[in-house]
Amino acid sequence: MFGLTDRNWFSLAVACYGVGALYSVLLWRRGFRRDDWVLYSLLAVGALTHTSAMFLRGFSIDRCPINNLFEASMFISWTIVASFLVLGTWQRLRFLGAFASPLLFALGVFALFPMLDERGPKPAFVHGWESLHAALILLAYGAFGLSALAALMYLSQEHNLKFDKTRAVLSLLPPIQRLEKVTTALLWAGFGLLTAGLIVGAWWLQQQQGYFLSGDPKVVWSLAVWSAYLILLILHWRPLAGGRRFAYGVIGVFAFVLLTFWSTNLPSAIHNP
Amino acid sequence: MSLLVLGLSHHSAPVELRERFAYPETAVPGVLARLREAGLAREAVLLSTCNRVELYVATDYPGAEASTALRTFLARDRAVPVPVDHAWYAHQDSRSAEHLFRVASGLDSLVLGETEILGQLKRAYDVALQNGCTGRMLNKLFQAAFSTAKRVRSETGIQRGNTSVASVAVELAEKIFDGLKGREVMVIGAGDTSEKTARALLSRGARSVIVSNRSFDRAAALAKDVGGRAIHFDEWEREFAKLDIIVSSTSAPHYVIDRARLANMLSQRPSRPLLLVDLAVPRDVDPAVKELDNVFLANVDDLQGIADEHVRARQVERARCDVIIQERLERWAGEFLMVCVAPGRLAFE
Repeated sequence: MFGLTDRNWFSLAVACYGVGALYSVLLWRRGFRRDDWVLYSLLAVGALTHTSAMFLRGFSIDRCPINNLFEASMFISWTIVASFLVLGTWQRLRFLGAFASPLLFALGVFALFPMLDERGPKPAFVHGWESLHAALILLAYGAFGLSALAALMYLSQEHNLKFDKTRAVLSLLPPIQRLEKVTTALLWAGFGLLTAGLIVGAWWLQQQQGYFLSGDPKVVWSLAVWSAYLILLILHWRPLAGGRRFAYGVIGVFAFVLLTFWSTNLPSAIHNP
Repeated sequence: MSLLVLGLSHHSAPVELRERFAYPETAVPGVLARLREAGLAREAVLLSTCNRVELYVATDYPGAEASTALRTFLARDRAVPVPVDHAWYAHQDSRSAEHLFRVASGLDSLVLGETEILGQLKRAYDVALQNGCTGRMLNKLFQAAFSTAKRVRSETGIQRGNTSVASVAVELAEKIFDGLKGREVMVIGAGDTSEKTARALLSRGARSVIVSNRSFDRAAALAKDVGGRAIHFDEWEREFAKLDIIVSSTSAPHYVIDRARLANMLSQRPSRPLLLVDLAVPRDVDPAVKELDNVFLANVDDLQGIADEHVRARQVERARCDVIIQERLERWAGEFLMVCVAPGRLAFE
């Protein structure tokens, strides 16, 4: 399209997210006092070129573009930007872009590393089940990412409410109790998607190789992440386990996912044949 | 015919003087009729609030003469001696229109940008209109004032933010809780500001107020006033598990709520936010409680600081309001005033 490759289109999107991330620094300093259409527009342009990249890649391989780390990163960040654009139609939620743009930029820069976009043979799974498994898992991480963003907002507003009340009152951030509810709801959504994705994956592993579980690093890692989120959700029910501690937990587990998702994918014989 | 406003306000006269010239709404049609019968005005609107008494008239009298005649009329009508001149202000023609635009926009109010005055002004105009005391000149003037106030409100931040301690406490609560509907509030110590805060919280949907005070009779009286429930002072901790907001204003010389005690009480209830509003001096709540998770503390300085910030923000907006008022004033003059008054009568600045 216009002589540009899917990677070119995605690079343009990442550039928009980068400018948005820089602009977000200004919004952070001002304390989110007004809704901001500039950042929304930047991310909307980014989302447009991002979608073009997804379509081009999808049509070129004739399947859902989630077959390597580049495509997976592109898919997760597309989930996040699409969610933001929908939520941002409500003027009062447009400030979310200031939290989303640095994450989108970081994911985009990572995805553009050349060694992540290698087109090997098709993975072990076949037909639409592979896409379903990958889509469920990646949507789950998208939900966990949004949950971590909500938790970050919680911590920002909670700090203001304790130490800079004027900033807290003038800010457009929602009440922290609502942020905690949103964080929890997104965590449950992500956990449900992750559970469904792992079940689909395990079932197909059984169909293809005759066993449900393997010692594959990515499988072990996925179960560890699933357990961590389960523990977080169980602890959230207990007295004294809500609020700040819960927010730190959500951000901590997602940071672990971000830092280790890629490194466990490479040695996985199932996911990186 | 010229336009004139004669008035007393919180800027120019103490309450002792303003109250002597204040008219209840039921008396307004009578005074407007007497004013017209006396030949002092063809059209008249009387605005009487706790902060101002203002008479807007369209009159055939020349400016200074009209001002003196109207003052004398009002003094006789209220059966009081005519007060000293500096307590009154009078503006003529374009200045009277500008004054009305500023009043309607809340720029002349005690609390800059407040909106109650616009409702009072509309009511005053409506009373005059219903009694046939307005004509072309005042109708045009007041419509222009109302549309100016609307524009000022929508295009500037002059009315943004709360400026009282009680309303700021509510604003802070709304940044913590996902709505105030159904929240349980406790007032410890039956002070005036805590009562206002409790009322403000109730007006935003708080479920009920529990009042605890060393004097049970005072607690019972306040509870009755706000539709709440009184308890003895040593019983408040028993109610703690269900509380969302505690407003404290006792005269105790020591902390009523300290960190260790609160930490212990928090462990007995599900994890959810708690807002402590400490209006007492010396303080009732140990500042160290804000280190506890899900506990938010605001003392009187915090709340006053936010109110002051809002006032400062409104002051910044004043210049933008002035620009709108000048634009509207020129438009009003161009479109309507020259139709109502012979050319050359008015000197616009």
